Amino acid sequence: MLRAEGLTKKYRQGEATITALDGFSYDFPPGATAIVGPSGSGKTTLLNLLAGFDRPSAGTVELAGVRIDELDEDDRATVRLKNAGFVFQSWNLLPTLSALENVAFPLLLAGVARGERNQRALDLLEKVGLAGRADHRPNQLSGGEQQRVAIARALALEPAVLFADEPTGNLDSAAGARVLDLLLEHASGQRRLVLVTHDLQVAARAERILHLRDGKLIRIEEG
Amino acid sequence: MELLVLVWRNLTARLTRSAFTWLGIAVATASMVLFLSFGEGLRHALAAEMGNMGPQIRVVAQGTDAFSPPLPELPPEMLGQIEELAPKLGIKKVVPAVVMFRGGFDPASSFLFYGLPEGSDPRDFYPKAEVAAGRLDPHPDGAVVGSKKAELNHLTLGKPLRLSREVTIPVVGVMKPAGSMIDSFIFVPMKTLQKVLGTKNYGVFLLQLDPNVNVDEVAEKLEAAIPGIDAQSTNEALKFAERAMRIGDLIRFGISLVALVVGGLLVANTVMMSVYERTREFGVMRAIGARRRFIFSLVLSEALFLALTGGLAGVAAGVIGSAVINVYTNHAVGLALSAVTPRLALFSMAVALVLGLVAGLLPARNASRIPVTEALGRI
Repeated sequence: MLRAEGLTKKYRQGEATITALDGFSYDFPPGATAIVGPSGSGKTTLLNLLAGFDRPSAGTVELAGVRIDELDEDDRATVRLKNAGFVFQSWNLLPTLSALENVAFPLLLAGVARGERNQRALDLLEKVGLAGRADHRPNQLSGGEQQRVAIARALALEPAVLFADEPTGNLDSAAGARVLDLLLEHASGQRRLVLVTHDLQVAARAERILHLRDGKLIRIEEG
Repeated sequence: MELLVLVWRNLTARLTRSAFTWLGIAVATASMVLFLSFGEGLRHALAAEMGNMGPQIRVVAQGTDAFSPPLPELPPEMLGQIEELAPKLGIKKVVPAVVMFRGGFDPASSFLFYGLPEGSDPRDFYPKAEVAAGRLDPHPDGAVVGSKKAELNHLTLGKPLRLSREVTIPVVGVMKPAGSMIDSFIFVPMKTLQKVLGTKNYGVFLLQLDPNVNVDEVAEKLEAAIPGIDAQSTNEALKFAERAMRIGDLIRFGISLVALVVGGLLVANTVMMSVYERTREFGVMRAIGARRRFIFSLVLSEALFLALTGGLAGVAAGVIGSAVINVYTNHAVGLALSAVTPRLALFSMAVALVLGLVAGLLPARNASRIPVTEALGRI
């Protein structure tokens, strides 16, 4: 469902070549997997490659049975739409749309009819406890509420894999705990949550923790 | 929340900027509509005018500019020559006339006098001419004034009209409005006008033909028979005027193009800035699963939406402006000189849309090609 093999990413910076990720291989089992490591350890690069935002310099990524490293950007976008959801640290929502419209956006891209789209979006908002705020724009919501809307949106097409990059980074502990609960709730059955964080307490809630350093997977800790 | 809703939200999110851009397109389109409406109005007015004219051929001295009053350069013996040819060529009537123009650019201060020979009155010029007050024949020593001229210069029966220092004649007739150029003419006896101009020559011969003769053929034969003249048929004059108007159209279009290019740059600037500001937003859309084409369509639709609605408003403003202009020209010269025809409205809309398309293409292409990682700031 989500598997990386020999994943490597190199950047050119002037004359120098920087290896941001070096031969990462892992087959993500169902449930929550946290990725931790210090700044510059390659966490963001790894997530970019796993999610198909970027293409690796070497190695393969398989998402939902598709080798996304071989696809062009548009085809990777289509695979993402159907199989992956995202929650970033901040700036997740489209500012001109209401909470409901933000949640309905992936459904619009997937061609779901308007009535069904809005009903499903409302159900999802209800699930994250924000049905009463459906008409609010992002700037009328708190940081925690925005993250919950982002989670509702990430779940709109019931993706097999949920990627979260420091989802609690900008939140106070109560809001952070609620966001984390919602994310972990999703990672049941055959579904997977890939949680990038530098917060070890957050990582501890996952079923396993991958430790990265200098672009390499140095340790796998089973919870 | 279809594409149009997204477009609307994005444009209204930056309302002031969008509104100014929209206004820029509307003004540019309106100015183009107005500029070109003169050509359309003139065409209509001219076609109507030519259809109503009495004489089918106008003989002037060779080299006379079609847009200026003819100078008295046709010698008296030429009248004899034409009258001699008349029966053979199917010319029913020859009316010699002298033309004098006085005044400036403003319709109220410019005067166009037509000197008509004895036995002739304005009906030789315009068969439907009717008198509103006084008489239609200026002879022996009066002036018959067109309705518009009478209104503009407050010329009523008996009022003196000074043609030169020595010559002043009274108004003896005021014509009914004809909706034609003759509403602005003043008809006087030819001898009086010749005295004012100090000549015995004529300025123009107006020829009325038998119904079954070929007008252009007669004109050709006349020119061949009498050297030094230019016999202009109504058809020829129409063709010439059409050519002149095409040139006028091109010049006016050129001028309005400047306004349009400025409008186009406004759209391009607005959309480009908006794309720059929304880079991250596009990144989020792409991360969720939007294809490049979606982003491209979204940005291009914004430019097209501005161009379409701005263009429509511009055409509407042009129609109103044209009506206002016509109120003025109707008052000044008795003719509606501006017309917004369906083809002009469609053409202006098409130009506005092409402008929006061209202005939106580059920003749309840029927006759709930013790498996801770059757009999200995830490098």
